[in-house]
Order: sequence, then structure tokens, then C-alpha cells
Amino acid sequence: MDRRKFIKQSIMATTAAYTFPYILPSGRLFAASGTRKADHVVFCLFAGGVRNLESVHKADGNLMTNMLTGTEAISTDILPGMDLLPSVGIPALQSSGTLFKEFRYAQGPTGHFNGHTTAMTGVYTTTELNLKAPPHNPTIFEYYRKHNSPSMSALNSWWVSNALGPYPSLNFSSDPNYGALYGANYVQPTSFISQSSYSVLGNPKNFNSAEKTSSSKIKNVLDKNFGSQYKPGDAGIENTSADALTLETFISTNFANAMGGGYTDPWAVGANTMNDDMRNVFFAENIITTFKPELLVVNMQDVDICHSDFTDYCNNLRKADYALAHLWKTIQSTPGMANNTILIAAPEHGRNETPNTLIDSHGRYALDHTGEIVSGRILSREIFCLVLGPSGVVKQNQLFSTVQGESIDIVPTIADILGFYGDIPTNYRSNMGSVLNQAFV
Amino acid sequence: MKKNNSDIFIKNKILRIVFGMFFLFIIPFTGCKKDTQKKYIYDVNSAPVAQAGVAKPNVKSTVEFISIAYSDLFGTTIDQAKLTSLGTAYNAFGDKKLIEDLIIRNFLHTTGVSIPTTASMNANVPLFVTNTYKKFYNRVPNEFELWQLTNLIRNDVSSTPELVYYAFMTSNEYRYY
Repeated sequence: MDRRKFIKQSIMATTAAYTFPYILPSGRLFAASGTRKADHVVFCLFAGGVRNLESVHKADGNLMTNMLTGTEAISTDILPGMDLLPSVGIPALQSSGTLFKEFRYAQGPTGHFNGHTTAMTGVYTTTELNLKAPPHNPTIFEYYRKHNSPSMSALNSWWVSNALGPYPSLNFSSDPNYGALYGANYVQPTSFISQSSYSVLGNPKNFNSAEKTSSSKIKNVLDKNFGSQYKPGDAGIENTSADALTLETFISTNFANAMGGGYTDPWAVGANTMNDDMRNVFFAENIITTFKPELLVVNMQDVDICHSDFTDYCNNLRKADYALAHLWKTIQSTPGMANNTILIAAPEHGRNETPNTLIDSHGRYALDHTGEIVSGRILSREIFCLVLGPSGVVKQNQLFSTVQGESIDIVPTIADILGFYGDIPTNYRSNMGSVLNQAFV
Repeated sequence: MKKNNSDIFIKNKILRIVFGMFFLFIIPFTGCKKDTQKKYIYDVNSAPVAQAGVAKPNVKSTVEFISIAYSDLFGTTIDQAKLTSLGTAYNAFGDKKLIEDLIIRNFLHTTGVSIPTTASMNANVPLFVTNTYKKFYNRVPNEFELWQLTNLIRNDVSSTPELVYYAFMTSNEYRYY
């Protein structure tokens, strides 16, 4: 080989060696540029409208004994309305991280969907928010899947909601630079894994491999002929064929489990005690143990019973507290996620100071969340935020009792934990809040 | 003589002016005209390549997809309870293609589904393909599509009407109208 040829080939080989490892499945040239604090984030929207008075201020005693340290007794008038709950068997979560007692949902209507949208996009909403369409601003899932390659499979990001209505549309936005192609897998477990769904989806025709090949050939031709008209994302989030098969097996397993009674009382708390929040978190745990997702958002909303029943609100607050601790325990007992996961929990908004006219069976008045202002204070904007994680990453047993942190800080914080905050374009980052650096070592 | 010559000169001058005016004003209006009315284009006449009605810009709604799929396979309207159950399940899962696939395979596994026999398909594959296009896509196949599908079915021993139906109902075009 002559000298000139040798040098030319060496330069080409060196260039290729440096370049190709960074061409990722997403088509991006480089992986996320930031350093990760952890490989997994679970964000629990402790939602439905939780007032700081009953949660972190313990006005009716410590209703959240799994999350908060302290043995304050529950008010005697509402005590008979509380269901008995067994111990989760772990120390109070507060000791495993940082608690922002005076977090704020500072702007936007104090509605559930507005609060959820803000927490999941990092941008405050207005009354213009459309309940029947995906949000305008990208969700945390889209930022994650677009800027956090190569871990971009949809199986790595999940949105698990405890109600239908507008909530399914929070797994991706209408932003033309993001959208369904970067969305999360979505499931509303109590509707999906049900007798009703099983009766219509539980008995599919299963084709053998030759039949699958035969049908695929035809389908490929049909899709190719329609290629000019098909817009990717029209069918929402799409998994790869291999991932879709994995998902179908997951669905079948859960159908079988549910039909076998495994959903009735999976935590042994009593079938009548298990509410939709707990079932939702239980399903999120199934996703965690099966897929070990890098990003999972799960919500709870049963405390919203407070519109008509204050005592049941307190009871459901205790159940939400139990569910959150159970979730953390599951994460810590799942290989791959234990000691490598950061859990963030925050309500979407609070509730009014002044009650409405409804009185429950224990003589307590119910509360709405209308953004009411009393002496310049808006209680429905006052919330908390708990950040849990490994001791080398998250500051342990840290408590902030002064006002700091907002709902719009959660998305940038998740992006920072997973190492892609710096990869989000500036024009998007400038709309968000800030990283909650004070929670981290 | 001198006067006569002068008269003739004047008459000639007048005649020249009259003829000049005639040529100047009349001839241009009676002479050859450029034909601005007719246009002649020497080209091949244009003809639509795609068949009329092939453009399908709208995605079917949940209810439309489920009820049309049911009608296509069972030849009857889906009952309200089943539609509600399927609609709820459809909305409760994010990957719509996966759910649509499950819905179609559950339909195909249900008693009463109406699918031609393999013998009737093989007896006249082009007719079967044309009818399948009409049934699921509401259009006839173009010549290329007809040739492609006919060829695929004839060359694949595993091919059955059920598999062809399954492929059509899970294809992208079936999601649109």
C-alpha cells in the first residue's frame, strides 16, 4: 500500500470510528450531553386537589404517616371515617429525601387538567387550555424521547392515569417539533384491565408465524400504496412491532391476573379499602417490575371527593399516602431501579380556604378549588413537593419550610436528572421553571 | 391648359388622400387577423393517474373505526353495550394500532363473522381482490394494485381470505376516509 493511500484510509477509518457510535436510532448525532443523576424517574402526581392544611401542616393530625414523620393524632371527629390500613413497613419517606413544604402552583386556573398539564409540560396554562386536544407545549415524555437517545423506546416512558376524560391526551403534545412520535405509552388501568374490556379484547385470534408472514406481506403492500397519504402519528403513539408484541403479552398477563381475582385486593388492605388510586399505583408497579421504565408518570385523584365529603377526602389522603409508600417500596425492591430511581411527588393544586355548603356525616364542610383569594392568600395554589432518591444523589431528610419551588420546576428537574436538560432547545427551556437544585447533593 | 393641369393635379391629390385614408383605416379592419380565439396545444391529453375518491384526508374517530369494522365483518350494526366497552378500552390505551389489531383479531375470533371461503377466493382472485377493496376501502383497486394483490395471493399458499381481511383492516388506509 502506498503512503498516500495508507494516510487516506487511516483518516477515513478514524473519522468513522469517532462518528458512527454517536449516530443514534433517533437520527441524532450525539447522545444526551448531560450527566445523569439517576437512570429512572417516577413522578407521582399526588393529585385531586390536596390542601397543605391537611397534608404537610397536619391540621387534622398526621394523615400521611407513610410520607411524613410525626405522630400527631387524627382529629377525633373524623377518626371513625378512616379505614384501617396496614403498615407498608418502610421508614417515613420524608427521611429519604427533600420535602418542599411550601411549593406553589403559582399561575393558571386551579383545575385538575390545568394542574396536570402544567406539571407535565413545565409551562403554566390559561383558561384557553383545550380539554379535547393534546397540549400545545411538549410534555416531559416528548423531551425525554427526543433528547435522551438511545433509550428512546416508548416502553421506557409511561403515563398511567386514574381517569379518562382529557387525561389520555397528556402523553404527547401538538407541538410540530415533538408530538406523537415522541409520546409515552398511555394506560388507564381501571378502565382497561376490567371485565368489560376483557369481554371484548380478551379472546383474540392468534395467527401462526406463516400466517403472520402472509398477512404482513399484504399489509406492507397496502401501506406502501397509501404511503403518500399516511401521516406518522395519526394513530397516536406507536411502538415498534417487537415492543407491540411485548405489550400484548403484558396486557394478556394482566387480563389473566385480573380475571383470576388478582386485582381485587393485591396489597391485602381489604377489597373495600382498595380504591382507584391504589389500583392505579398497583398497575404502575406492574409496569415498573415488567419494563423498568426510565420515566413513568402516575397520578391519583380520589381525594377530589372533598367537593362533597371532607372526611372521605382525609381518608383518601391516607390511602394516597399509603400508595405512594407502596410505590417507593416496589421501586426499591426492583432490581435495576433500586437505588437508581428518583421519585417526585406533588399535588397539581390545593383547595379553597372557605368551604362550600355541603356537610358530611361527620359534620365537616366540603371544599372546592376555585382559586379563591382570602386576605391576599390563595390556598388552592399552596402545595408540597417531595423528592426521594439515593443518599448520594438526593439530600436526605431535608425540609424546606419557606416558599420555594413551583409546579413548572418539575419538568426541568426530571430533564436534569435524566441528563437531557441542556439538550432541550433554549426557546422551550425559557418557558419552563428551573431545576430544583436545592434537593440534590 | 395650365388650369386643366392644375385641376388634374388637385383631383389626383384628392384621390391619393382618399385612397390613403382607405388603406389607412379600412384595410387594417378587413385584412388578415391573428386568430386569438382558438388555441392549439400539441400534447398528450391529461388523464387522472389516481382513481377518483382515493384521497382520504380524515382519520376515523374511535366510534367510526369500531362500528365500521364490526359492520364490515358481521354485516350488521354493533350493539351499543359492545360499542361502549370497546370505546372505553380503545381510549384507555395509548397505542391505537395495537388496540385496533386486538379489536380486529377479537372480531375475527367471534362467531358470526362473515368471510368468503378460500375456495371462492381462489376461484377468481382478481374478483376477490376487487370486492375486498370495495368492502374495506370503498373504492376499486387500480390496475397496479389489482395485479400486486392478485399476484401475492396466488403465489402464497398460506393466504386465506381471513388473512387478507386482517391485513386490510389493520392497514393504514383503513384508518382513513
